[in-house]
Amino acid sequence: MLGAEVTFDVALPKVVWGWLVSTNMWAKSIATGTFLLGLYFIKKYPEKDTFFRKWIPILGLIFIGITLLVTVLDLHHMFRFWKIFLFAHFTSAVTLGAWVVSGFVIVLLISFWSWITGNKKLFDRVMIPGFVLAFFSTIYTAGIMGEATARELWVFPAEMIQMLLSAALAGSATYLLIMALYKVEMEEVKRELGYILIGSAFLSGAMYLGEILFARMHSEFSHRAVEILTFGELAPMFWLGIFLTFVIPIVMVGIANENKRYEYTLLGSISALVGLWLVKHSWLLAPQMLPLS
Amino acid sequence: MRLGFLVDLSRCMGCMACAVSCKAENDVPLHSWRLRVKYIDQGEFPEVKRHFVPLRCNHCENAPCERICPVSALHYLPNGIVNVDHNRCIGCASCMMACPYNAIYIDPITNSADKCTYCAHRIEVGMMPACVVACPTHANIFGDLDDPESEISKYLKEHKDVMVRKPELNTKPKHFYVRGSTVALDPLASERPEGYTLFTEVKFLDHIGGH
Repeated sequence: MLGAEVTFDVALPKVVWGWLVSTNMWAKSIATGTFLLGLYFIKKYPEKDTFFRKWIPILGLIFIGITLLVTVLDLHHMFRFWKIFLFAHFTSAVTLGAWVVSGFVIVLLISFWSWITGNKKLFDRVMIPGFVLAFFSTIYTAGIMGEATARELWVFPAEMIQMLLSAALAGSATYLLIMALYKVEMEEVKRELGYILIGSAFLSGAMYLGEILFARMHSEFSHRAVEILTFGELAPMFWLGIFLTFVIPIVMVGIANENKRYEYTLLGSISALVGLWLVKHSWLLAPQMLPLS
Repeated sequence: MRLGFLVDLSRCMGCMACAVSCKAENDVPLHSWRLRVKYIDQGEFPEVKRHFVPLRCNHCENAPCERICPVSALHYLPNGIVNVDHNRCIGCASCMMACPYNAIYIDPITNSADKCTYCAHRIEVGMMPACVVACPTHANIFGDLDDPESEISKYLKEHKDVMVRKPELNTKPKHFYVRGSTVALDPLASERPEGYTLFTEVKFLDHIGGH
């Protein structure tokens, strides 16, 4: 007897988590990345902290606002969102994420108030809890993906590191973009942000290639998902994302840092941010393209 | 008490009585299914075989849907059934991402997650699930896995070829198949060519709820 094929079945749901979820992860990377990197630069260059004390709350609130907006919009019962706090089920990474992000929003509001009033000490007091909350806000999505037992491509510890690298990449790219747009003159900071962008892009790109290679060997399901991602329906989006996120920024920011031509960082950072969304989106879709039953 | 299900695939003739009775009993809307029967053809004429596979929630002992649900809308009943509270569900669809058996759907009318509950409302009053009653060949065997005298326990004891779907995921399903095969139970072991749906041309559902 030769192969087998399904000759009768019902229509199945295809993509359940779509662009709203990808946007959630992308915007969260920017919000937490700018916060974590901002803290680092405030500590390292206290004399140049004005820039970061201003942009941490502005970028944080805008992008965590986008994160929360798309999260709520993605719910089929968006007006029941409050139940996550009242009927919290703490084995769920979704619940943990909602609580952690809520705490992070409070820290961002305090940092905003600190910037408005010029009360630096106020922000200094919430730096440590802010660091912890931003860190866990970054990685909790990896927990959700780890609990998504059906989608084996996501169930890897590498996801957590990818989330942290995405935050570093998105945070540095956003700051470089702001600096290029507002013509901010802080050469040392720009150079360091450039190196963070190059480093995180290189590591993240290497991890994606590693994941593609090893996921194939993990199970039939993840093998098929990788096939769709690398050679199938999603390949154009995925490889374009890889090129924009990892190749162009490394080249452009590398040129900028080597030749002190910081105008190149504008293109590099825009490319990184656009590419990051494409990579995250294709990674999200791939395991949803396969039948589960 | 641990309620479980067993399907003897050698008895199933793909009549869909179980699927229809489930739809009727639970008011399952169009394009949604708590229980469905999949046909898989294997081989090439004249050496060809058709497999019929009823698919429903596995009521796992280590249920990923229960674990990931942020508001405990999916929860265990004392008899082991994984039940759904429609009024609590926020519609995040995490359970759909977690369930490896594609057993959960977003009801397009209520916008809440829903799935087979082993007809918990019937069991509560001492009745069998609707699909068990409707099956003309008694392919569906339902009962208490903790009771050694129950039909399901005896069946499991007597048959050596008991299978569950995706055992490697450690979900510990309480839904068993006897006289099954990899082709029947592994969704990646068969192709899904265009046009496999007999009564509709819809292959995938883009709309899964209330957006």
